[in-house]
Amino acid sequence: MEPDIHKFPYYPGCTLKTTARNFEVSALACAKKLGIELVELPRWNCCGTVFSLTDDDLIHHVAAVRNLIRVQEMNRDGMVEENRLVTLCSMCFNTLKRVNLLVKENPENLEKINNFMYLEDDYEGNVEVIHFLELLRELDPGAISQRVERPLTGLRVAPYYGCLMLRPREVGIDDPEEPTIQGAILAAVGAEVIYNSYMKVCCGSYQTVNDKSAVARLVYDILSHAQADGAQAIVTSCPLCAYNLDSRQKEVREIYPDFEQIPVFYFTQLMAVAFGFGADLCGFDPNQLVPEHLLK
Amino acid sequence: MKTEESIMQRIADAAKAVTRGVDAKDIEHWVTIYIMGRAYKVPADLTILTAMEYAGYRFVRGVGCRQGFCGACSTVYRKEGEYKLQTGMACQTRVEDGMYLVQIPFAPAEKAAYDISKESYDASVFLKFYPEVARCVSCNTCTKSCPQDLEVMDYVQAAIRGDFQSLAEGSFDCIQCGLCAMRCPADIVQYNVAQLGRRMYGRYGMPVPKHLITRLQEIEAGKFRGKMDQLVAVPREQLEKLYASRVREAD
Amino acid sequence: MGKKTTGIRYVGGYPEYMRKLISIVHKTRAKRRDYTPPPMTKEEQEEVLKLHPDYAPGGKRTISVGPNKGDIGPTEVVDLVEAYPLVEEGEIDLSKVDYSPDILIIGGGLAGTSAAIWANDSGIPKEKILLTNKLRHGDANSIMAEGGTQAADRSVDSPERHFIDTIGGGHFANKPDVVRALVEDAPLIIRWLLDLGAMFDREENGDFVEKWGGGTSIKRLHSCRDYTGLEEMRVIRDELRSRGIPCIEHFPAIELLTDGENRVTGAVLWNLETGEYKIVKAKATILATGGFGRLHIRGFPTTNHYGATCDGVVIAYRAGARLRDIDTVQYHPTGAAYPIQIVGYLLTEKLRSSGAQPVNKDGEAFVFPLEPRDVEAAALIRECYVRNKGITTPTGLRGVWLDTPLIEEKNGEGYIDKAFPGMRRMFARFDIDMRKDPVLVFPTLHYQNGGIETDPHGKTNVEGLWVAGEVSGGVHGKNRLMGNSTLDCLVFGRRAGISAAEYVKSGRGGGALTLKHVTGYVKDLERAGIRPERRSPILLPDYRGRAALARMIDVF
Ligand SMILES: Cc1cc2nc3c(=O)[nH]c(=O)nc-3n(C[C@H](O)[C@H](O)[C@H](O)COP(=O)(O)OP(=O)(O)OC[C@H]3O[C@@H](n4cnc5c(N)ncnc54)[C@H](O)[C@@H]3O)c2cc1C
Ligand code: SF4
Ligand code: SF4
Ligand code: SF4
Ligand code: SF4
Ligand code: FES
Repeated sequence: MEPDIHKFPYYPGCTLKTTARNFEVSALACAKKLGIELVELPRWNCCGTVFSLTDDDLIHHVAAVRNLIRVQEMNRDGMVEENRLVTLCSMCFNTLKRVNLLVKENPENLEKINNFMYLEDDYEGNVEVIHFLELLRELDPGAISQRVERPLTGLRVAPYYGCLMLRPREVGIDDPEEPTIQGAILAAVGAEVIYNSYMKVCCGSYQTVNDKSAVARLVYDILSHAQADGAQAIVTSCPLCAYNLDSRQKEVREIYPDFEQIPVFYFTQLMAVAFGFGADLCGFDPNQLVPEHLLK
Repeated sequence: MKTEESIMQRIADAAKAVTRGVDAKDIEHWVTIYIMGRAYKVPADLTILTAMEYAGYRFVRGVGCRQGFCGACSTVYRKEGEYKLQTGMACQTRVEDGMYLVQIPFAPAEKAAYDISKESYDASVFLKFYPEVARCVSCNTCTKSCPQDLEVMDYVQAAIRGDFQSLAEGSFDCIQCGLCAMRCPADIVQYNVAQLGRRMYGRYGMPVPKHLITRLQEIEAGKFRGKMDQLVAVPREQLEKLYASRVREAD
Repeated sequence: MGKKTTGIRYVGGYPEYMRKLISIVHKTRAKRRDYTPPPMTKEEQEEVLKLHPDYAPGGKRTISVGPNKGDIGPTEVVDLVEAYPLVEEGEIDLSKVDYSPDILIIGGGLAGTSAAIWANDSGIPKEKILLTNKLRHGDANSIMAEGGTQAADRSVDSPERHFIDTIGGGHFANKPDVVRALVEDAPLIIRWLLDLGAMFDREENGDFVEKWGGGTSIKRLHSCRDYTGLEEMRVIRDELRSRGIPCIEHFPAIELLTDGENRVTGAVLWNLETGEYKIVKAKATILATGGFGRLHIRGFPTTNHYGATCDGVVIAYRAGARLRDIDTVQYHPTGAAYPIQIVGYLLTEKLRSSGAQPVNKDGEAFVFPLEPRDVEAAALIRECYVRNKGITTPTGLRGVWLDTPLIEEKNGEGYIDKAFPGMRRMFARFDIDMRKDPVLVFPTLHYQNGGIETDPHGKTNVEGLWVAGEVSGGVHGKNRLMGNSTLDCLVFGRRAGISAAEYVKSGRGGGALTLKHVTGYVKDLERAGIRPERRSPILLPDYRGRAALARMIDVF
């Protein structure tokens, strides 16, 4: 039986439209199965993350606030009745949520930004930015497991969190020391969850552009500890983390020749497998390392 | 003079202001504008371009088509008592009393060199040639300065995420006047980014029509050669007959 | 919207008195919706054509010097041809050469720009090409083409059909072998533009949306909204810039150089801003300077860009190039007649092929909307000046309505925004909404039908000199069809580029740099009794206010 559909405004971000398409495809499919329709903002711009979030640099908040205004517009135009904006990319989530808090706390700054954007409606501060994972956490217990058609029994997976979902504390969506939000989902789809303290260590972020080997060393620490604890795969919810953990394995091997490669997925891809979706909706790309028993 | 000839004369007389420059004695209403700070009294019905000509300027720059297509006559102005800096095309903007203006007849801008037949059809092409697009802070200043009323910020954003169709359609009416780029705090040259994107979309975003491919093959194979050999040689009378007997395609 | 500065009250962009007349158009629209006046018979056409500026008496005279001595041409053109040069032998130093490309291209519209690209493709290295422009590269008639480009590429169409349409439209005066090149190369040119990334209007399945052009028997017009020239020009200019082909701006050619024996060997360029001249020595020269609308033949307003001043014809004629069909001028039936700021500007024929009707002041549709351009133009002049059923503007111009709201009635709401964004914007800038109200139109000077005679490869009768585009004569005969001109530029730009490249590669070309031909020409002028009152080329028109001019003194 298909559940009632609830519509949420959804902000994809640039990465999900380019290198992380598989994240979006799998997430939208899973959401639908769970009765959630993610309605993409009809107009949106980059969240603004490439710029600093220092609070005296107002121009850099403009991008984020503009997206929040789009959510207001969607509500005004009756496209959705929901002021919680769903994000998938951890980076976008973090930026949008932080800016939202900053401007709500400082009405003077908000007024300046509103004045600057005089062609737009004023941002009224009523939007809430959430991560898709938070929506999943809200579901009735069992909502996910009920829909599993192919439980991932026997697959040992380590959820990687990185920093953006957990810090700073007012933005974080889970306990920054003992996060469980991804693990709970993995458990619901039947996988065996490997907990390990390296799952909160920074992946090296944008250092990946300047210093590949520094990132490779961090990635080695993260992955080899997970492997030591028995993990067969890693999941994440951030395109940048995914990129570092996955693509930098080549450099890791150059430094540590005994290192063995390990697949990296978005959590939504494993959900998609468990829900019984085909390869197109799971978003496996042909080059991705996929354990054989997932493909069966 | 014959009637027809005198009609021609009447038409020429009526169009004089447009073809030969405005004569003060025909003008009833006047405004004062400030060209680079200096005041000139000019006829109220002129565009910035024709008003400057009226004032005695003969352009060698800052004008091209005179009709809003070429982007040569970019102008910035402020009106007395208003804080906002406005932009417009001199050939398309009517003068207003108390306008302080200057033309920007040239926009220094980087244009990347590329061979679109060798580039990959995804967002990476923009980062490769115009990495500064990623600096866009979504301030929307470009949109506010566009004389074609394009949503410039939206098309820049479409470039960042590799949405070629939105970029191409949203920027299609761009006349490359440079005003957006001159005001962008992130130093992006929006119209060059758009040019690259449109060419990529034109080449890769739409299939080559089958009927065109077929026609090119037919020409290559010489299908029309014989007929054309005959046609170029037939006498005029026969051409006239052929022309008169054309069957018009149904609407 | 009230405009305090002008005293007249405006409603929706029109003065109040015109509003009353507009309401007649609104009232009669329903009646006219499904009625189109029948096309004229041949006799009716001949009768009305007496009012066409080309056929009305006056306005022309005989050329008394040069290769076309004895032919007639518009007075304004003959004045320039029979004028003295800007520089004569001995006045400038020809011994120091500033540029020595293999191929010099003068004028960067569609014709010149495509010639440069094809010359490069034919093996001339980019640094051996030089493109020079009077204004900026692309400030040209080309960028203003609205309607589209013809090419017989639908299965129901054929190059033969395109040939017949073109020759008939040109009153059978066209050179058949040149027309053949035009129609046979057309599909290839469209493919070339596609590969360079031009965005033509498409159907869902990728096929071209093809439209009617006046005078054709079939839909064959390829458009890019109403910005066809803008799109074509932008794309090939971007290609030229990407290749790094040298291009200089605000540097018009003011004279060709010859070896003194009927061979062009270069040109004199002139820096419009500083006044300094430069000498170019070239093995081959392609002249692509466009048309002559800014001469305001017979005092008509024009659709042309600021630099359309007949320079190419003037300097090539002095070098011995033969002209043809220079006596015929194309007047576009629908130039804007109101408001004054846009008088003469083009309202594309596609408006009429999409359903807009010419309507007189009594609300009557008085003419078949798609007569050949000359007939349609003459019919509008008759309506305004013989039948007195035109509308007079506040500045004394007359015009008839073009009932543009009919377009949306016939094609659905939103159609104008989609198909005619440029037009809509032009009127909206003056507060007129062409979706709701008609616009006022009157014929305007549009196109130079003839020019420097060319063969199918763009070659002229003068060695070392090629021509392409509007400056050339022969392909359109005495009247050009819509959409054949952008095509002409691209077909013969390409052919001239290739042919000039072959010529250069075969080792021909080049020679001494002299102005002997100019000296000879000046002697002819003197012999013909022409006094040195006028000088040409004029390079730019002069629209300075007469009050300011009257008090101007030359100090430096
Ligand atoms: C408003 C308008 C609409 C049109 N619509 C259509 C249409 O829908 N379809 C169609 O097929 N045709 C149309 N035409 C006609 C067509 O656009 C032009 O005839 C054609 O593009 C001319 O191209 P060209 O390259 O020969 O000349 P141009 O495009 O005029 O280029 C010539 C260039 O040479 C420069 N130049 C001039 N003198 C000198 C000099 N002395 N030295 C150096 N440079 C010089 C000029 O400034 C200009 O940049 C239209 C024309 C106009 C004006
Ligand atoms: S987080 Fe990065 S990728 Fe995602 S929208 Fe923001 S800037 Fe773009
Ligand atoms: S907003 Fe204006 S004043 Fe403030 S820093 Fe920017 S340019 Fe300077
Ligand atoms: S997008 Fe920029 S360059 Fe293009 S028309 Fe608008 S302001 Fe001018
Ligand atoms: S002006 Fe520059 S930074 Fe501002 S929105 Fe436009 S492109 Fe982005
Ligand atoms: S002169 Fe071309 S846009 Fe104004």
